[in-house]
Amino acid sequence: MTINLHMNENPYSPAKRIQKAAIKGLEKINRYSELKYLIELKELLGKYNNVPIDRIVLSHGSDLLLREIINIFSKDRKIVLVNPSFFSVGQYAVKQARRLTRIQISTPDFKLDPDLLLNELNKPTLLIIDNPNNPTGKILIDDGAAEKILQNKNVLLVIDEAYYEFSGKTFASMIEKYPNLAITRTMDKAFSLAGLRFGYLIIGDYYKAHFSNFPIYLSTPTLFAAIEALKNPEYMIANVDKILNEKIRIEKEILKTGIQVFPGETSFILIKTNIPDFGKKLNDEKINICNLSDEWIDGFYRISIGHHEDNNKLLSIIRKICNNA
Amino acid sequence: MSNVKSIGLIVNPIAGMGGSVGLKGTDGEIYKKAIELGAKPTTPGRIEETLALVKRKDLYFIAAPGKMGEDYIKKFNFKYEVVSKIDEETNADDTKRIIREMVEKGIDLLIFVGGDGTARDVYDVLGLTIPVVGIPSGVKMFSPVFALSTFAAAEIINNETEQFIEKEVLDIDEEAFRKGKLGAKLYGYLKVPKNLSLLQGKKEPSNVTKPEKISKEEIAQYILENIEKDTLYILGPGTTLKTIADKIRVKKTLLGIDAVFNEELVGKDLNEKGLLGLIKKYDEIKIIVTPIGGNGFIFGRASKQFTPDVLKLIGKENVIVVATEDKISRLDCLRVDTGDAKTDNNLKGHLKVITGYKTETIIEVK
Repeated sequence: MTINLHMNENPYSPAKRIQKAAIKGLEKINRYSELKYLIELKELLGKYNNVPIDRIVLSHGSDLLLREIINIFSKDRKIVLVNPSFFSVGQYAVKQARRLTRIQISTPDFKLDPDLLLNELNKPTLLIIDNPNNPTGKILIDDGAAEKILQNKNVLLVIDEAYYEFSGKTFASMIEKYPNLAITRTMDKAFSLAGLRFGYLIIGDYYKAHFSNFPIYLSTPTLFAAIEALKNPEYMIANVDKILNEKIRIEKEILKTGIQVFPGETSFILIKTNIPDFGKKLNDEKINICNLSDEWIDGFYRISIGHHEDNNKLLSIIRKICNNA
Repeated sequence: MSNVKSIGLIVNPIAGMGGSVGLKGTDGEIYKKAIELGAKPTTPGRIEETLALVKRKDLYFIAAPGKMGEDYIKKFNFKYEVVSKIDEETNADDTKRIIREMVEKGIDLLIFVGGDGTARDVYDVLGLTIPVVGIPSGVKMFSPVFALSTFAAAEIINNETEQFIEKEVLDIDEEAFRKGKLGAKLYGYLKVPKNLSLLQGKKEPSNVTKPEKISKEEIAQYILENIEKDTLYILGPGTTLKTIADKIRVKKTLLGIDAVFNEELVGKDLNEKGLLGLIKKYDEIKIIVTPIGGNGFIFGRASKQFTPDVLKLIGKENVIVVATEDKISRLDCLRVDTGDAKTDNNLKGHLKVITGYKTETIIEVK
């Protein structure tokens, strides 16, 4: 069977009780989702993030929310993005932006120079940063840089925290203080709900009016599963621990083969190798990893963490490829 | 025309032979030295590896004779015919002559195996007319025109596309290279199919960037709208710069450095002397250049005419860099190598690259 390690998915299925909740949702799919459950989900998310529920916006997938933000706020603003970043957003920004500036982060450490960034913010700007960054896994801005950016009234800062549960880094505590801050989150990754596509926004005051009419239809399986997952996040936390431990183990083992590993704060590993057709060679052995040469630089690959045995197979094939290279 | 694609196949049988015996190339007389030193051909393996991975059944090959194509294609089950004749010893003239005959027969794509020298020969005949797939087999592989591997070449052939991009053919000065000096000039451009790796499914379609032609048009339009009056614009080599020149309605050389003042061409195919002479005549001067795809060099590789003396007079603040989104997103950084450390250091730091109409990328020059 093919081992898929190319889409940053969680290898662990949702807990049985979460699966049961989704099935319960399926029984109700002849009806639209009920408001009381939507409110319950918002309340749980409010508690999980320690923010009031009027700051939460629900949607099927955080990339839909990012697209909506680009739709609404790019009309009279320049968009500033980091490159590389979550490719779906970059692609959409290229289509929609009236004016677009990308700041390229480069090897070896993929650091984002805060001064360089601040220099770009002298006109009305929509700044979108994935933190940690996909695909480098790096934390790109810290609290100090975020505060400096947010003090500039010209700027709307949107931080994509898709990997928050893995990095432990969030700006949610700044949401009351800064009206121009918004944060996107997803339950696809840490909560193992990729197939249900659930994301949400945490918004500062400035965004509230713009999102007051945002449709909040969620499918009932998604809604029920998300509620159940949040009622008891310990299962998620345990999985995140397992993934991070496996990640450290795999990184150490890959390093021994001579392949370059770029440590990051997410659930995936970024590597670089000059071995020709490295991805194809893994693919021949029924392991899919993400070849980043389509969108970025040749030789970079992103690998998600799988089950322990799958990771062992990955490592043994990588060793074989390296020995034959 | 039916769906059958007519594919030219030409192999430089001696490309790559110098490498194993410590020579840096097999151009000209060096080939004989390589043979004396016991060099073995490397190209048969490369082309056979590729052909073994080609799955399409609708291809009709027009192959060069003997060891330049026929010897390899006949081992597979493709439909093919052979054009032209060759002697025991082959050279660059054979390559060019045979490609011309293939073009007369009618080919939709040319597969060639060789190194930078072979790519030059292909460019001499084809220019940007017919797309090519280059399979790397040379000693020097500076030209970004080549596929990354034999597998990648086969993938490109297997996945028919109507999208093409232009890639640089770089010519290394072999005489200087063997003496340990790296000197290169931009020799031309070849059209290659835009192929994305199809190994695994993605959440989103992969083509993040706009088609190259549109990207160039947008860059040119933006430059045109922002051109400053009474300023000398020195345009570096490349098709992006050519698109800009076309927009301004001046006739630019594709590979040379030209100069425009108030929408009039005032310098053509300039060398260092010509540039210095022009620079003295004007008060306001800007250079527009584009990086080499794959390695990101803006000065010091493809356009040697921009010497340290020229660059010192113009200043970093007057350098405008343009590049398509596709090109820039595949670069880790821009690079300079003018041969003068001080000039290089002055050019280092972050720089804005115009990538489209009101789109730009800030990237580090290293």
